[in-house]
Amino acid sequence: MDSEVKNKIVSIEKPQLEAPADWQPVIIGILCNWCSYAGSDLTGTSRIQYPPNIRIIRVPCSSRVDPWFLIKSLQTSADGVLVSGCHPGDCHYITGNYFARRRFLVTKKLLNFVGYHEDRIQFSWVSAAEGPKFAKVVEKVTQDIRKLGPLHLNKKENFNR
Amino acid sequence: MDYTKQIQDIAARLFSEGKIDVFVGYRSTGYDENQVPVIITDAGEVDKLVFNDRSVFNLVNYLKFEQTRNKRVGIVVKGCDSRALNLLLTESQVKRDNLYIIGIACEGVLGEDGRKAQNCLECVMPDAVVYDELLGTPSGKREYVVNADILEIAAKGLTERAAYFEDVFSSCIRCNACRHSCPLCYCAKCCIDQDSSALYNGSNTESSAFHALMTWSLHLAGRCVDCRNCEKACPSHLPLHLLHKQNEMVIYQNFQGHLSGLVPEERGAFYKYSLSDPDDFIM
Repeated sequence: MDSEVKNKIVSIEKPQLEAPADWQPVIIGILCNWCSYAGSDLTGTSRIQYPPNIRIIRVPCSSRVDPWFLIKSLQTSADGVLVSGCHPGDCHYITGNYFARRRFLVTKKLLNFVGYHEDRIQFSWVSAAEGPKFAKVVEKVTQDIRKLGPLHLNKKENFNR
Repeated sequence: MDYTKQIQDIAARLFSEGKIDVFVGYRSTGYDENQVPVIITDAGEVDKLVFNDRSVFNLVNYLKFEQTRNKRVGIVVKGCDSRALNLLLTESQVKRDNLYIIGIACEGVLGEDGRKAQNCLECVMPDAVVYDELLGTPSGKREYVVNADILEIAAKGLTERAAYFEDVFSSCIRCNACRHSCPLCYCAKCCIDQDSSALYNGSNTESSAFHALMTWSLHLAGRCVDCRNCEKACPSHLPLHLLHKQNEMVIYQNFQGHLSGLVPEERGAFYKYSLSDPDDFIM
């Protein structure tokens, strides 16, 4: 076999184990429309800096978040997921986040059970007035996931979850 | 545990009284000791019916079939099956008036190895909880025990668990037999099929199986009744009960000892909430 082709095949079979130096974590942020999304807006308008690694998706309520969304995010491209909603008792739909809370716990435990690090999936309550808190939360999540490294680097040999 | 005679008599009586159009029961395969489900539409066929400790399948699954839809159905249910039926009733998937339920006070069925199945040893409610007629002597509710396999795997490290489940997920061929055999999976269009990308949707890669099985098990969390129809149907013999039992354990320990389908009119764990649910994992 042509040595060039052979090298190519080997490099496909055994991808690089180390993260590239310029690697940046991809974090999906699923925020509720009424509290956390407004909170993140306040962070921006208050000119508070937070890491740009988070990609924000707006949902009507934290109880709109199906565990499927989190699984799909981790399966396709994300290195971590942050879900954020209103504080208990503050839900725009009165009880939405109480229902969400139950699902989050079970999802987190199951993902941990199948070998994903706890910090890959994180949850927070951020109200519309808590701009600085949102910046801190994103800072922490980004740091945690940066420490864990990329999720999709090499699935076969590097259980870097 | 052999109720063959009684079930045949009841089925014959129901057909002659005109109370049912179809009867869902078990019949012998004809070539070995095992049994398969059978749907009977005629009183002449009732001598096919059998019931003993090899009647392993959950017949409630057959209530979502075309042959039984909107018809008056006679059905045989064991303890776990009746819990699934209970949930289907609360979720308005079947009409109680259309059903004639023969409940069994189950003594446990046999697993593939010929010994009592694991889910029967850990069963919390062997007697049927919803029935028109009960066969056998009820033995009552039992104490919940955490599945031994769960504890064994949870004791391993994160990396070992990841390696173990990578093996499990990569053995999946994405035939969706688990979904089709589950009595509680009744959606006409499943959300995991909605993705138009063939790479993630139908392919049997580890990533695709992770997506399908995890989503499936989380949509059944708080509803799964541990009948293990999925595991019996799985051609790759995946330990699917691990995912369900893990969810069941977390729900039992954190949400006031919730066990699905035991009480009539009680819906799954995710249909209700408590102000004192654990909150410490949320920032």
